[in-house]
Amino acid sequence: MKLFFSILISFLLIGMLKADDDKYINAMKKNLEKLDSLSDLNSYLDAANNFERIALAEKDKWLPYYYGSYLYIIASYMDTVKEKKDVYLDKADRLIEVADSLQPKESEIYTLKGMSAQARLSIDPMNRWQKYGAEVNNNLQTAMDLDTLNPRPEYLLGTGIYYTPEQFGGGSAAAKPYFENSMKKYNEFKPANDLMPVWGRRQVEEMLKRIGG
Amino acid sequence: MKIFFTLFLFISINSILLSQTKISGKVTDQDNSPLPGANIYIKDTYDGTSSSADGKFFFSTQEKGNALLIVSFIGYKQKEEKLNLKGTEIHLEIKLESDSKELGTVVISAGSFEASDENKAVILRPLDIVTTAGAQADIYGALKTLPGTQQIGEADGLFVRGGSAYETKTIIDEMVVQNPFYSSVPDIPSRGRFSAFLFKGTVFSTGGYSAQYGQALSSALILKTQDLAEQTLTSISLLPLGIGGSHSQRWENSSLSSEIFFSNLAPYFKIQKERTDWKIAPRGFDGSLNFRQKFSKSGMLKLFSSVSLGDLSLNMKNLDDPSVKDFFRQKSGNYYFNANYRDIIDDDWTIFVGASYSYDKDKTDFNTLKLTDGDNLSQAKITVTKNIINNSFLTFGGEVQNTVYNNKYEVFENKVNEIISAGYLEADIFFTNDFAGRAGVRTEYSKVLNKANLAPRISLAYRVGREDQFNFAYGIFYQIPDKDFLLQSNFSGKIDFDFERADHYILNFQHISDERTFRVEVYYKDYDRLAKGTLYNSYPFFQQLSFVPFSSAGKGYAKGVDVFWRDRVTFPYTDYWVSYSYLDTKREFSNYPTLAFPTFATPHTFSVVAKYWIPEVTTSLGLTYTFATGRPYFNPNNPEFLGDKAKDYNNLSFSLSYLTSIFNSFTVVFFSVDNLPGFRNIFGYRYSTDGSYREPVVPTVLRSAIIGLFINIGQSNPY
Repeated sequence: MKLFFSILISFLLIGMLKADDDKYINAMKKNLEKLDSLSDLNSYLDAANNFERIALAEKDKWLPYYYGSYLYIIASYMDTVKEKKDVYLDKADRLIEVADSLQPKESEIYTLKGMSAQARLSIDPMNRWQKYGAEVNNNLQTAMDLDTLNPRPEYLLGTGIYYTPEQFGGGSAAAKPYFENSMKKYNEFKPANDLMPVWGRRQVEEMLKRIGG
Repeated sequence: MKIFFTLFLFISINSILLSQTKISGKVTDQDNSPLPGANIYIKDTYDGTSSSADGKFFFSTQEKGNALLIVSFIGYKQKEEKLNLKGTEIHLEIKLESDSKELGTVVISAGSFEASDENKAVILRPLDIVTTAGAQADIYGALKTLPGTQQIGEADGLFVRGGSAYETKTIIDEMVVQNPFYSSVPDIPSRGRFSAFLFKGTVFSTGGYSAQYGQALSSALILKTQDLAEQTLTSISLLPLGIGGSHSQRWENSSLSSEIFFSNLAPYFKIQKERTDWKIAPRGFDGSLNFRQKFSKSGMLKLFSSVSLGDLSLNMKNLDDPSVKDFFRQKSGNYYFNANYRDIIDDDWTIFVGASYSYDKDKTDFNTLKLTDGDNLSQAKITVTKNIINNSFLTFGGEVQNTVYNNKYEVFENKVNEIISAGYLEADIFFTNDFAGRAGVRTEYSKVLNKANLAPRISLAYRVGREDQFNFAYGIFYQIPDKDFLLQSNFSGKIDFDFERADHYILNFQHISDERTFRVEVYYKDYDRLAKGTLYNSYPFFQQLSFVPFSSAGKGYAKGVDVFWRDRVTFPYTDYWVSYSYLDTKREFSNYPTLAFPTFATPHTFSVVAKYWIPEVTTSLGLTYTFATGRPYFNPNNPEFLGDKAKDYNNLSFSLSYLTSIFNSFTVVFFSVDNLPGFRNIFGYRYSTDGSYREPVVPTVLRSAIIGLFINIGQSNPY
């Protein structure tokens, strides 16, 4: 009887622990599946809220903070009200700082830092390129150094160069090699687990189609 | 076993029955407008949802017992509700309070123009200063296109709202700069010594500035230097006036920048037909070193050091004997050092500690007479800021300025050592998001005057719409008399002056949006205890005037209206602003025999600055037009003191900046022409001693053109 109870209790305990981890993984997977089908600003903010709740409940997992930040950066591009853009990016920056403290020297986190700086710059390019231009490059370069197989930094670098006037070394011809490198890396990229970021491939394909290559 | 299973079943059934608590409700702001997209959840769980477009929300949770419900939404303060989850439905009406930190509050801004990237309610950005035609990338040149400043082409400094250049102080990183301009000779203006690119923020106050600053009767130009250099970068500047280079090295948490510039105007004046008889055209050397170190997340140490050497000499017409020329030579050396440290402690306290040292030495030869001025200023300052509730904070601190004026005229040496100690206390209170006030008091003690002063300052800001605001400011401002008064009365035996005093009353209305800015400001300044006396070396001397003994009996007033309009959207790719100032002022000071409209003021001043960007060729065109009614000048033949007015002033400047990259380096090709139409401006006249002959005071060059090249190596594109 005692043995039976011990085994039962052990199963229950293990079950509880695994349930917690399963709960996290299931919740993350559910929200990650939705990412591709998000359309309007509200659906992005909704998804960001979902990840934020997971992040705050788990406290020590960096990925939900990462995805929350990622969605706020996209929200800053989508909202047409100029003052709100910086506010979304303030939130994105706060979330990525927590992610960074939980998972230091992570290539994807530095990629996101570069993406946030790029979003800041695009709000007022004439006045902000001096401050944020270097931040974009520094962060994306660090991301590439930390993981040479990460395809996302070069996609972001290429996008920045694509929108830079040709007189300063920008334009589609200058951006093309970055997109091509990025595409090559996407083809070979294998995420470390099911929850790691995989976004961006579709966007690179679109850019290459636009450039004609 | 049976008991166990029964118990187990009983517990399971109970769990199913007690399982879900349904939580629903609506999230709104203080005005009952719905807030969609708010995050509503049970703390430490996944359970929650986002509010929909109408602010309503609904979710269920398996949690039981006491729980904390959190509602958060960007731009609003987070709200927490204690709940007891028993399986019964809970309905909540949540009203969120907006969080001023994120959505912006009213900003206290009576009497000031701020140019920075940080503040949302700014009027100018640092880039605006540099790209203004006619400013020649000089901060002071660009500030002269703002309302409140006078167009004084024959002297350096900012003349604000009827005040002389002495009444405006330049402050860099909280420390007063003794001499922000290159030294020059009479009637020849010079430019500021610091490059506009050094600064991340500029607050130009035309009155009513904070209690943290003092010793400026009219206005303060408050500059904040850049933090860490963004990247490692080398740049080269090529101008007809000289060549220079700079290099910035960036490490992870620190940066070191150095800059040198050699200037020589001789080749430039050979091309331009200038009206000055230069013997040695102005030439000089500038060098600066700039070190930044970041400590932890919020600490920043800044060290800045600069050296300036200059030399010029010219022949000036002798008004009493046209066959003779007066020879002027000036060799100047200037050294400036500024160290400061700023940090945030415990999220609540901000501490600033700074020290600076300036040394200015001018050796002037006037014919055979030799005059040497050597002034040095040592300053130490500490300011502490503490957050109180909400965004309100308290600032207090103190500073000491130790100035030594050394004057040697031929063999006569004269020295005055002034020590000014000051303390200040100021509170910034945000009563609501729309109403804020700043009240402060500053006290100073002057060793040389042996007097103390107490200066209250108050500023209120009231926001009537998201983009509209009323501002009011009142304050008392004190300043010791100009050094020549101190030196010459010291030489005569005794310094007996009082603090000069100005009471400011300012009221303004402003509308600031992304597209347009409109601002109208009325002010009244009451001057009292202004230094009076005849200074033997004052220029212009007005020697025909009777002798005035030293005293603090001077007084005066200045009142007027300043209007500013900026529009960035009406015309595509065009950004323009319009400034108009109306000024009515009279004063009796220095060796003025009566109350009179001073020589450095005029009733109407008008400026239009326009910039047009052509994206296809990445070129920016700039045009600046300035008009000012003529200023009074002294005519010894006129019984009415300063009763004559010079002709009106007109100036049209044009500039072109072409952005490109050469050899993979970001480059700017810059071309500008000042006074394109060649208006023959006359600022006033200088008379011979007997009043029979006069010479007009005119700009040194009628029409000046500059072409320049700035190359940034290491930065192939600006993005």
